[in-house]
Amino acid sequence: MLRMEIALFLILTLISFVYFSAEKKFSPLHKTFSILLIVMMIHLPLDGLTVYTVNHLESVPVFWNDIFHRFFIGSLVLVVYLFYQYIAILVEEETGKRRYFDFTAKIFLVIAELGVLIIPVHYAVTAKGNYSDGYHANICYVSVAFYLFLCAWLLIANWKQIDRKRKLVIGWALLIEVCISVLQAFHPTWLISSMGMELMTLSFYLTLENPELLRAELTEQKMSMLYLKSQVNPHFLYNTLDTIRIQAQLNDDKPVANLLMRLVDFFRLSVKVDRQLVALDDELELLEAYMELMCYRYPKLICDYDIDPDLGGVLVPNFILQPIVENSLLHGLKNKGYQGILLISAKRSEDHPACMELQVMDTGSGFEDGIKEKIDNLLTHYDKQAPKLEGNSIGILNVQKRIKLLCGKECGLWYTENEEGGVTAHMLLSTQMEEKE
Amino acid sequence: MKKLKVLLVDDEIIIREGFKKLFDWEAHDCEVIGEAADGLEALSKIDSLHPDLVIMDINIPIMSGLKVIKQSRMKYPDIAYVIVSGYDDFSYCQEALRLQITDYILKPVNYEEFGSCIDNLKISLFEKKIAREEKEEAREERVITVITRYLQEHLDEELSLAVLAAQFHMNPQYISQLFKNEIGVGFLSYLTNIRMEKAKKLLLSTALSIGEVAEKSGYHDYRVFTKVFKKSEGMTPSQYRKEFLTQ
Repeated sequence: MLRMEIALFLILTLISFVYFSAEKKFSPLHKTFSILLIVMMIHLPLDGLTVYTVNHLESVPVFWNDIFHRFFIGSLVLVVYLFYQYIAILVEEETGKRRYFDFTAKIFLVIAELGVLIIPVHYAVTAKGNYSDGYHANICYVSVAFYLFLCAWLLIANWKQIDRKRKLVIGWALLIEVCISVLQAFHPTWLISSMGMELMTLSFYLTLENPELLRAELTEQKMSMLYLKSQVNPHFLYNTLDTIRIQAQLNDDKPVANLLMRLVDFFRLSVKVDRQLVALDDELELLEAYMELMCYRYPKLICDYDIDPDLGGVLVPNFILQPIVENSLLHGLKNKGYQGILLISAKRSEDHPACMELQVMDTGSGFEDGIKEKIDNLLTHYDKQAPKLEGNSIGILNVQKRIKLLCGKECGLWYTENEEGGVTAHMLLSTQMEEKE
Repeated sequence: MKKLKVLLVDDEIIIREGFKKLFDWEAHDCEVIGEAADGLEALSKIDSLHPDLVIMDINIPIMSGLKVIKQSRMKYPDIAYVIVSGYDDFSYCQEALRLQITDYILKPVNYEEFGSCIDNLKISLFEKKIAREEKEEAREERVITVITRYLQEHLDEELSLAVLAAQFHMNPQYISQLFKNEIGVGFLSYLTNIRMEKAKKLLLSTALSIGEVAEKSGYHDYRVFTKVFKKSEGMTPSQYRKEFLTQ
């Protein structure tokens, strides 16, 4: 039997190594899985150890046998609890509903672990091999049954809202664990509980926590940034524009020189497009350059700013304001002959202490019938949208995805209609972003 | 005041042309005495022409602008340098500040605003002179030093030629002329300069909010402060704080 434990441990070491060295974004799901891997790394050696000690009752002192058993079953209960946590977070991500079983699950964990520590251990000695039984050993069956029941409940209660692939993974993992637990219960000498744990871990690792997949998540985001970037080397573009600007000024053509200056500013700032986060001031500078050029083309356009100066240094996802403003211009103010006001504001959020709200308000034509609902729906179910490379909504969808990815799920983009006409785009962003290199 | 002799160093001819023709050197008591297109040429021109001020692009062929400064520093410690840098090599700019250059400007160069750069240079030359005089001690304190010290100590208040006139019982026109003659810059340029210096110092050495920094440097409307700061430093106060605190 020991050979199986050693093999399982080696496999787990390998996947832990691959997993921890992979680049991934930070999320509660990945965090839970990391903890799970670590606990498994502790659990498997304990399992191997008890397989040995329980079959050498005469040579290993009872004291040590008990200690190892308590730790083994304690870690097993913890592993099952972490499985529940992982699935609960998964379901929460899918449905957006709160995890209402969490408290029960935690209480149960505490009681089970107390039981593991206190209840005396009893060993059954048979011709086929020894194992522990009685109340102490039953704790793990009860725990597995309890947490599996919670998981199954979560799965069935939210069946319709969960993505097909995730449903499959959760269902498969639960099925394996149920089968192995039943086998173990009927054949106590087989000692295969750790195989179930390992298979469950593997099924999540191969599907949802696959390092290739995690990397793809990150690169998809970078790709969408690259898409915005010009095919030409942007440095070449803006250096050349600057040369033309100076030549225009040498030729005494002030207006052209000024316009080119703003265009140079715009390009210089968009060169930073490969950075995920920029200071709000940088983002606003880019927007100002863009708006000055637009206002020159359409003199009846007025642009106003109301920015809390202490927010200037806060890091925000790169290139989120310009696409929103462009939407306001093309879908709102264009229909009014580019006549109207655009107000851009940044304030600390009153409801969310660690957040700020950016607003882009326009006095344009507002939403046409049915469009508001369509956009609301698009932004709420942003993660269910098939990736598109063109179309009207790619801009706001891209902004929404990046805000959610970088600032967290509680942040995001939404639209409201103004009483006096036009629409306002709201963006709730975290003010606690830190730069990662 | 005698005219400042200026050497232009940039590998792009049109940028040198821009500096030569789009900025009114005459009005700022300056004179362009030479140009160089690479690091080695810059070094030899510094040797032969003895400029007071070198306007130096960092990213130039053969030898980088920073190396040129380091080398000529030892020979001619009194030459002032203004660094011209692209945003993409801003990190060099931070390194340059450690070489105690007078000022830096970011590309694209706005030639109309280059005057404030020259004013800054003159003010720093003036301050060096004052410091030297204070060491000598023996001489009687001059009127301009008394006035500039008063300004330094009352930066958070309303300051104008009229306020100074009342404080020192002098004619405002006379004080204005005094600034032009002694420092070579107008009263307002001088005041803005020392307000900005104070603001920069506060931004880097304290955790005061932008609004409080504005208040302490004499701006009661932070929006005005942010505008003036951006015009003078090429970036907003919070960008400045971030760029220089996180190196």
